[in-house]
Amino acid sequence: MIATLQIFLIISAALFSIGLLAALSRRHAIFILIGIEMMLAAANLNFIAFWQFSPVRAPQPVGVMFVIFTIAIAAAEAAVGLAMVIAVYRHFRTTNVDQLTRLKG
Amino acid sequence: MSYLNLLKLGAPEAIVVLIALAVLTIGLTNDRARGLPGVVAAFGILIAIWTTARLPQQASLFGGMLVISPLNSLFKMICLGLAFVTVPLAVSEKSLRNPGEYLAMLLLGTLGLLLLVGSEELLMIFIGLELLGLSLYVMAAFDKTDVRSAEAGLKYYLFGSTASAFTLFGISLVYGMSGTTSLALITLKLGMGPIQPLMAVGIVMTLIGFAFKIAAAPFHLWAPDAYQGAPVPSSAFIASGSKVAAFVVLGKIVLIGFAPAHGNAGWHMMQPGWSPILAALAAFSILLGNFVALAQTNVRRLLAYSAVAHAGYTLLGLVAGGRDGFSATLFYTTIYAITLIGAFGVVGMVKRETGGDDFQNFAGLASRRPLAAGCMAIFMLSLAGLPPLAGFFGKFYLFSAAFRSGGNHGLLWLVVLALFGSFVSLYYYLSVLKVIFVDQPPAAEPGQGRTAAGQFLPLATIVILAAAILILGVLPGTLAAVITKSVP
Repeated sequence: MIATLQIFLIISAALFSIGLLAALSRRHAIFILIGIEMMLAAANLNFIAFWQFSPVRAPQPVGVMFVIFTIAIAAAEAAVGLAMVIAVYRHFRTTNVDQLTRLKG
Repeated sequence: MSYLNLLKLGAPEAIVVLIALAVLTIGLTNDRARGLPGVVAAFGILIAIWTTARLPQQASLFGGMLVISPLNSLFKMICLGLAFVTVPLAVSEKSLRNPGEYLAMLLLGTLGLLLLVGSEELLMIFIGLELLGLSLYVMAAFDKTDVRSAEAGLKYYLFGSTASAFTLFGISLVYGMSGTTSLALITLKLGMGPIQPLMAVGIVMTLIGFAFKIAAAPFHLWAPDAYQGAPVPSSAFIASGSKVAAFVVLGKIVLIGFAPAHGNAGWHMMQPGWSPILAALAAFSILLGNFVALAQTNVRRLLAYSAVAHAGYTLLGLVAGGRDGFSATLFYTTIYAITLIGAFGVVGMVKRETGGDDFQNFAGLASRRPLAAGCMAIFMLSLAGLPPLAGFFGKFYLFSAAFRSGGNHGLLWLVVLALFGSFVSLYYYLSVLKVIFVDQPPAAEPGQGRTAAGQFLPLATIVILAAAILILGVLPGTLAAVITKSVP
């Protein structure tokens, strides 16, 4: 089977949807983080696929450049997110987001 | 492109980074020092404003990664100014331990604002968005002793990073369909033919991320929690700087980048494009924000829901489009940011003195602190849009720009809705003032008179901001003319 742009786009759309589903339906903060990381990975896959299959190759590798930056940003985001989960766990003794109900109204 | 030239054009950003590192170092060597980091940060921001004012009129680096234009320089200065007035609020907030670290996060967030405002390229915009977002999440969760601060931080983070994942996916589709990430080239590509479905998906997903940043309904769910739970200076910065920069970038993206996909939001001539989407967001935000704000009993939560409504009003200018609409949006969001920093300054003072920020904590503020109460009255009435305060002229410019645009007054429905919303909003702003000026404080409040010292700095800041609102209300033409002149 020849890899085409369509296949990559379908995979990345599926990856994004699975990530979004995890972020919306899971109650555990860590699983939500994993879901968000999957959504970012789906976008990265898009960039690489679009760059690889572009009809005219641009002089600058914009797609690859974007992905390198995004990977670094996603790592920073995961670091901040885990720190936030630890901060919440110290106060609430749980990471279930349904039990964070101090702020309401 | 020589590095010396790069350093010259990127001087404001470079200075902010250096000051952030300096403040962080001071904080590391002496983690209880309060005055020194504040002075260094404030002084550094002033130098950055000065260098921004001395930038050349027009320049562009790396294909639009860093663009210097009158508009960008003006809003860099406004964002730096907003960071500058947040510094005294942060320094006087005793609950924030490690002020050095806090100010370093504030300065890194400011760097994010500068990158966002000063770029016309999607990669740089995304980096700015993330730098700003990550700094704000940490600032929201900064008070380690407060349960609500941690909860606000986590909620803000979860909503925020989901939204930025949407933006990134949208940008990837826009890049794939146009083959470029520069806004100017995307316009060219979009103008060449009909819009492909994948491109439309990309545009909508990009807009979702920005709708989150400006807290437009239905992407506003983080705002009440973040505004209420975060330390007061963080809320002030989230509500002001982040919003101004988001509106500048959103305006540039839709009016420069996606211009050919404008569509039409007029009542009888709806055409698909981004403007009907923004119009729907605006209408929903105005209705939801104003009506939910009516039921609030916490001042910070009330300000959050009113922020949702104000995001709706501000979107009106972008829906109207054109030079008129964009400058009205920019004028309004600037006025709004100044007002909200001031209002949060008053909330911070009340919170330090009485230990809370519910309505009952504000009772009797007029007799306790007449000056702060008077300033709060100015801020609330300006938010409600009463003349002769700056908020009135902001709304006037916005609504008249929307009324004139769209041929045959097609946006009249949105203007009527916004006028109705401002009318409703008068009730809850006045109810805050009623508590401050009429209600008697509950007798023998345990926290009463807890601390009167150390309130000079925030009070001075609040008075200056209130004076700015009054002056801009009497002479709105000064700022409006500068903004209109700088909009291309």
